[in-house]
Amino acid sequence: MVLLEQVAVRYSDGPDILRDISFALAPGTLHFLVGPSGAGKSTLLRLLYLALKPSEGRLSLFGRNVAGLERRDLPPLRRRIGVVFQEFRLLDHLTAFDNVALPLRLAGVREAEIKKHVGELLDWVGLGDRLDSLPATLSGGQQQRVAIARAVIARPQLLLADEPTGNVDDRIALRLMYLFEELYKLGTTVLIATHNENLVARFPHHQLHLEGGRLALRPRLSAAAR
Amino acid sequence: MWRSDLPLGKDGSSRFLPWIVGAMVYLAALALAGVLAAGELVSGWRAELTGALTIELPQPVEATEADRQARLQRVLDVLTATPGVAHAEVLGPDAMAELIGPWLGPDATAADLPLPDLVAVELAGDATIDSAALTQRLTEAVPEARLDDHRDWLERAERLSWLVRMLAMLVLGFVSAAAALAVLFVTRTGLDIHREVIELVHLLGAPDRYIARQFQHHALAQGFVGGLLGLAAGAATITAIGWLAAVLGGGLVPLARLGWTDWAIIASLPVAAALVAMLTARIAVLRILGRSL
Repeated sequence: MVLLEQVAVRYSDGPDILRDISFALAPGTLHFLVGPSGAGKSTLLRLLYLALKPSEGRLSLFGRNVAGLERRDLPPLRRRIGVVFQEFRLLDHLTAFDNVALPLRLAGVREAEIKKHVGELLDWVGLGDRLDSLPATLSGGQQQRVAIARAVIARPQLLLADEPTGNVDDRIALRLMYLFEELYKLGTTVLIATHNENLVARFPHHQLHLEGGRLALRPRLSAAAR
Repeated sequence: MWRSDLPLGKDGSSRFLPWIVGAMVYLAALALAGVLAAGELVSGWRAELTGALTIELPQPVEATEADRQARLQRVLDVLTATPGVAHAEVLGPDAMAELIGPWLGPDATAADLPLPDLVAVELAGDATIDSAALTQRLTEAVPEARLDDHRDWLERAERLSWLVRMLAMLVLGFVSAAAALAVLFVTRTGLDIHREVIELVHLLGAPDRYIARQFQHHALAQGFVGGLLGLAAGAATITAIGWLAAVLGGGLVPLARLGWTDWAIIASLPVAAALVAMLTARIAVLRILGRSL
């Protein structure tokens, strides 16, 4: 599913933001990505959602070497990836419903199905009564739930979440974690970058520990990922 | 109903697009009306003068009225004996006054001026006349007679009409290029303003053509609205020019009336402008995005 071999990332001639990163994520697994601020967690996620290409090393997603991808190859791969951005990145001019519906519309799903699925999911995350609300009228926690709903609505094969529980209370955080667990049990590979130690302690999954741009704790490369 | 995922209508640069396109369509409408009017004018002249000849007899010095009439009769005799001539008529004082009226005013009379005698000739149906042979027979009857088959004049008018058409096409070309440049500028600005949203939509899996479609639909709508504004202003100006020419020209300048076909061509300008805007936006977005990561 995801395989990194001695990957390094740097911007122009600057220092390495990430270096010598090697790990694999097998299908249907859930990993936490932990580490102090500035360790390179967001950069690693940017690599994985194809906003960056490695400066060195090899990154494979869904069995394809990213270095060899043409621009036209990116959209279908990106549609297999769901992303929860740290700063939510909702489209301010679209309602909660339309924000969540966007990945389905990009995938060409029929409007009748979109209406059904988006309504159900927003209901499930507790926003069934805010379908027509613009992001500016939602609280930080509500925006985060819309962002999560958008990331999972198209049932991605790889889900990347950057601090997905950072703006919600413990009850909602638990509920969202159950959603992520549900997804990985259904076969989605989930990688959650978080500072929330309680959450990491409560849900015993693999951890990738980033520090100073390097993986401090290297998990074994699983046979399935190879 | 078309739905946009990018907030393209909300940036300042795109608000000016309809007005820019409107101004371009306005100029294009005037240029096109000029071309079409010139074409109509020449066609009208050609239709009027095809199958018509004029015989001009300069007034001899110290000729009596009897001499003039005898001379005209000899010309008419030659004409009636010429196969293909359907009708020949000497222009009387009223017809002459009508001809010189626009230049010398309604009170001018042909009798006061040393004007030549004119004989208008109509040819029958598809008949053609050997101008050289007829000229020879006429000069044998009246040495000073001159045959005018209007060919030189029509050729000059057609050359002038061609020149007007070329100039108008040049104006249309410049106007189209200027409109395309305006759309290009607005599109580039739009891509810049909405860079973050576009990056996000890309990350959600949108291909470049999806982004291009959003821009091209927006440009199509803006271009069409602008085109309608320009067309309305252009039609009003063309009508006003026609009215002013009729009132002030007093027959000195022959008027060309635009037909329904001409108006239909002018009315298609907003559609053409919208298509130019749409294509420019699509090509610009695909090229600019293609150069980015």
